[in-house]
Amino acid sequence: MSIIETRQLTKYYGKARGIIDVSLRVEEGEVFGFIGPNGAGKSTTIRLLLGLIFPTRGEARIFGKDAIKDGPEIRKDIGYLPSEVFYYEGMKVIDLLKYSASFYPGDHRQRMHELADIMELDLNRRIEDLSYGNKKKVGIVQGLLHSPKLLLLDEPTLGLDPLMQRKFFDLIRQENARGVTVFFSSHILGEVQRLCSRVGIIKDGRIIEISDIRTLQQNNYKRIYVAANAIPAGYFDLPGVTNLEEVNGGVRFFFKGDIDAIVEKLSALDLLDVTIEEPTLEEIFMHYYE
Amino acid sequence: MNIYLRELRANLKSLIIWSVIIILLVVIAMTKFAAYAENPEMLAILDSMPKALMDAMNMQAFNLTTLNGFLGVMFLYYALMGAIAAGMWGSGVIAKEERNKTIEFALSLSVSRTRLLTAKVLAALTLSLLFVLVTWAVTLIAIQSYHPDSSVTAFLAREMLAMAAIEVIFLAIGLLAATVSKRPKRTGAIVSAIILTLYYFSMITGLHEKLDFLKYLTPFKYFDAAELLHQGGVDPVYWALTAGIIAISLTGAYLAYNRRDLYI
Repeated sequence: MSIIETRQLTKYYGKARGIIDVSLRVEEGEVFGFIGPNGAGKSTTIRLLLGLIFPTRGEARIFGKDAIKDGPEIRKDIGYLPSEVFYYEGMKVIDLLKYSASFYPGDHRQRMHELADIMELDLNRRIEDLSYGNKKKVGIVQGLLHSPKLLLLDEPTLGLDPLMQRKFFDLIRQENARGVTVFFSSHILGEVQRLCSRVGIIKDGRIIEISDIRTLQQNNYKRIYVAANAIPAGYFDLPGVTNLEEVNGGVRFFFKGDIDAIVEKLSALDLLDVTIEEPTLEEIFMHYYE
Repeated sequence: MNIYLRELRANLKSLIIWSVIIILLVVIAMTKFAAYAENPEMLAILDSMPKALMDAMNMQAFNLTTLNGFLGVMFLYYALMGAIAAGMWGSGVIAKEERNKTIEFALSLSVSRTRLLTAKVLAALTLSLLFVLVTWAVTLIAIQSYHPDSSVTAFLAREMLAMAAIEVIFLAIGLLAATVSKRPKRTGAIVSAIILTLYYFSMITGLHEKLDFLKYLTPFKYFDAAELLHQGGVDPVYWALTAGIIAISLTGAYLAYNRRDLYI
């Protein structure tokens, strides 16, 4: 059983596109990265999973149950951290967290204090007096205090300083180590690369690629830089070569295809320097978006 | 219980503000009444007023020099204030969370929309009934120095029951408006406009026979203070209308809220 499974999940806001035919599976214990630029449909997908909005067609299942019909039961085991958190302004942090905890069976006070200590959160302040980053910390504690089995993170690091980001990532890794599944939406690819095992790329509301990060890097593209004496114009004009550009006396390009063919081509040159690298996720991503 | 209590706490301030307004209103009205009470000259002045004005103000039916007359006129204000307060609470419990975007948090918790809505309705209902109790208490205290007899206190009790009914009607209408509206920022204005329009209807319905049908459209006419005083109650058809409006509005609100996309 997949932890998250969507089938042709589609959402239109009136005529405006939300997402179209999003089908994906996230398995237990995995950290799934969901990447795409602003407006691609990342938040729409997460809100559909949470039952905040209703699909135009298609369905979403979480823990094998229907995301709409069994919403309240499913959400017992979900921790949600939105990109921007909004809490009741008049409440103190501690009261807000206790309020949140009261919706989940069991006693969560110990975990709440643990998390607050880790995130260096002052529990006695009022929500309205908190900075953006501090509100985000409240969000992290609130999202994790009931020890959920699934974490839905929507641009979670927005507003956190680098130190807190690292603490946050450590927390997520710890949670994942004890079996928690993580659905991590972001447009900051470095953090997805650090944390996730698999990624889905969404563009204009449609999933355009779902793949292992490693496979994505290994099998898809090589980033090649060549410096040589006299590279004839159009020398690398062959299938699989993209994004060719000339840089300080050499050329840089992406290559996808038979690695033997390109090496043969390279060896025919009078080489000064050559590097063949796996591209960063960012470069792959940019490639998809061009 | 937690949602209900949070909602009550969040609206406590507005209940206090409404209570202060009622107190001020009663204090001002009582100082005026002091001039009217047992004063035949004042009665003569009132008799010389244009009939249409008296009709519109619903003052025809009352002898303003008596406590019953005073309470009859006060009811116009009580009903309007109760309607606005309850309409604001009914729409506010839904719209405020959407305006402040806290609804995303509220609904990401392990709670169904029906449960959330029920807790909010009960909170708005509690506030409305507390408001009636405050109005009742303030009025009783204010008229003590005129030694009200049991007919006066019984009339006030009927008025308070009517005020509660009007409140529940507008609470339900406010709730429906907020659950159907796609613009939470404007819900409050829409609900106020509905209430004031209906109040206006209730003022003009007595002016002309052709406008008589309006009395079925506006809940303010269901509970007419003159009928409460002279007939000792209202026509059962109005109670049926009251129950119908409340039932339809609440059903509509639950259906709409369970289908509602929450735009954040």
